[in-house]
Amino acid sequence: MARLVIMGAGVAGHTAASFAAKWLGKDHEVVVVTPNSQWNWIPSNIWVGVGEMTKDEVTFPLAPVYKKAGIDYRQAKAVSIHPEGKEGSETPYITIEYTGQDKAGQTEELTYDYLINATGPKLNFGATPGLGEGSEMGEHTVSVCTADHAVHASHELEARIEKMRKGERQTFLVGTGHGMCTCQGAAFEYIFNIEHKLKEEGVRDMADIIFITNESFLGDFGMGGLHFKAGGYVTSSKVFAESLYAERGIDWILGAHVNKVEEGKVTYEALDGEFDEQEFDFAMLIPPFAGVGLKAYDKAGENITDKLFAPNGFMKVDADYTPKPYEEWKASDWPRTLQNPDYKNIFAAGIAFAPPHLISKPMQSPNGTPINPTPPRTGMPSAMMGKAVAASIRDMINGAAEPTHTASMAEMGAACVASAGKGLLNGTAAAMTVFPIIPDFEKYPGTGRDINGTTGEVGLAAHWVKHILHHAFIWKAKLKPGWTLIPE
Amino acid sequence: MAHQHVQHIEPYSPQFGTMIPGGFQKFLRTCVLWQIIRFIAINIKMTMLILKSHH
Repeated sequence: MARLVIMGAGVAGHTAASFAAKWLGKDHEVVVVTPNSQWNWIPSNIWVGVGEMTKDEVTFPLAPVYKKAGIDYRQAKAVSIHPEGKEGSETPYITIEYTGQDKAGQTEELTYDYLINATGPKLNFGATPGLGEGSEMGEHTVSVCTADHAVHASHELEARIEKMRKGERQTFLVGTGHGMCTCQGAAFEYIFNIEHKLKEEGVRDMADIIFITNESFLGDFGMGGLHFKAGGYVTSSKVFAESLYAERGIDWILGAHVNKVEEGKVTYEALDGEFDEQEFDFAMLIPPFAGVGLKAYDKAGENITDKLFAPNGFMKVDADYTPKPYEEWKASDWPRTLQNPDYKNIFAAGIAFAPPHLISKPMQSPNGTPINPTPPRTGMPSAMMGKAVAASIRDMINGAAEPTHTASMAEMGAACVASAGKGLLNGTAAAMTVFPIIPDFEKYPGTGRDINGTTGEVGLAAHWVKHILHHAFIWKAKLKPGWTLIPE
Repeated sequence: MAHQHVQHIEPYSPQFGTMIPGGFQKFLRTCVLWQIIRFIAINIKMTMLILKSHH
């Protein structure tokens, strides 16, 4: 009997655990270690953040689902990895610290035959003074990164709407809270939902809405932008995104590294090196991501964290990490099997793996401050990575010498639906697909992507898709009948 | 005659340099019949994308 331990139960970890348990059956053991007691369909946090959904609609308890699936669930956070075991034992293990199950604070060693790191990110609010401390959000801004954050955001939004009803003009600032953020798409969707909400509440004319981003152009999305066919042209996502903002009367600030947040004000450095301020009454600023801070030790107890993890805390896998200039970046730099090069029984999936480099062109201000989006790897790519890694481990347990499945972001696409409201007959969402996620200028010399697989359009239909995705993925995550038929 | 479907855009502002949907485009975005067709099209596109992405 082999034991597979999965650290994390987000999109990547939960997908990996679900498929591994199904494929491996009772012959082997699947253990999930996550500090959370609830699973959260994060894309719908946007709707929670404008009061259109409740926390209960986007979360559910993990324990009964894992019990049904025969998965050993440990509500605990992973602390360290010991891939060589310890003195007197060759068996690799991780140390965990319980956060629930009536064992909070207790530590334990958990041995493994295979390990998947799917911890997701640490929400690094502390990287920007005033945005928060460590992974804790501060008091000046709101966030939609977790369901609880989104509930708080909706209450704050409601309070601002009340002020506008009383005739008090309000400024809304939404975007990225640091020069090295990713997840611009979440901020993009949230600002359109706020704008829609204010219209519905009849107070839009009392609001100034501003988008602040570390992107050098709107529509970069951390992917260096994309192109698709529209109106007989091959159009840049820059034009597509700018159009959405202009149509709604939303202003934007580009290339901004927010370096300080105070009550009602952010200070930021722009790509031209100038420093400026923006006042706000309500601000939702996405924090930068970092690794969760796992440590690694060899058999002698020596710290080998640098061997397993990149400096940003994400796990090294089969990527080409050789530093090289933007002009020399290739699709083949990106990992395919997501296997750690030093310890072949360790894999990383989702946000937890270390990208070889950015996707967007690196930029910095004349002061030397890097201001560029980091690569997005949430949602659909995370799920595909989780499934591929689980399939490889299944086959390796059954005798394969090497990973049998790949999930390179240079060989997969992604779909993104950004809502603007929740109505089935009002509001208009933007539906985008991109293939591949990493531009491949050798395969697609024009724009780096398959023009027939990269699309963007605005309309009610995308709202319907967003509703279906919400219900379908929660159904799938609950492992209800037919869950395997719903694709990642 | 004023064209109400396009709100005023400040000349030479960043918003001035992009495209704005016209009345017919806005109508199509919420026209249920047209959107049913687009819904089918989006689902086909996403399905093709998923099929191409798994290895």
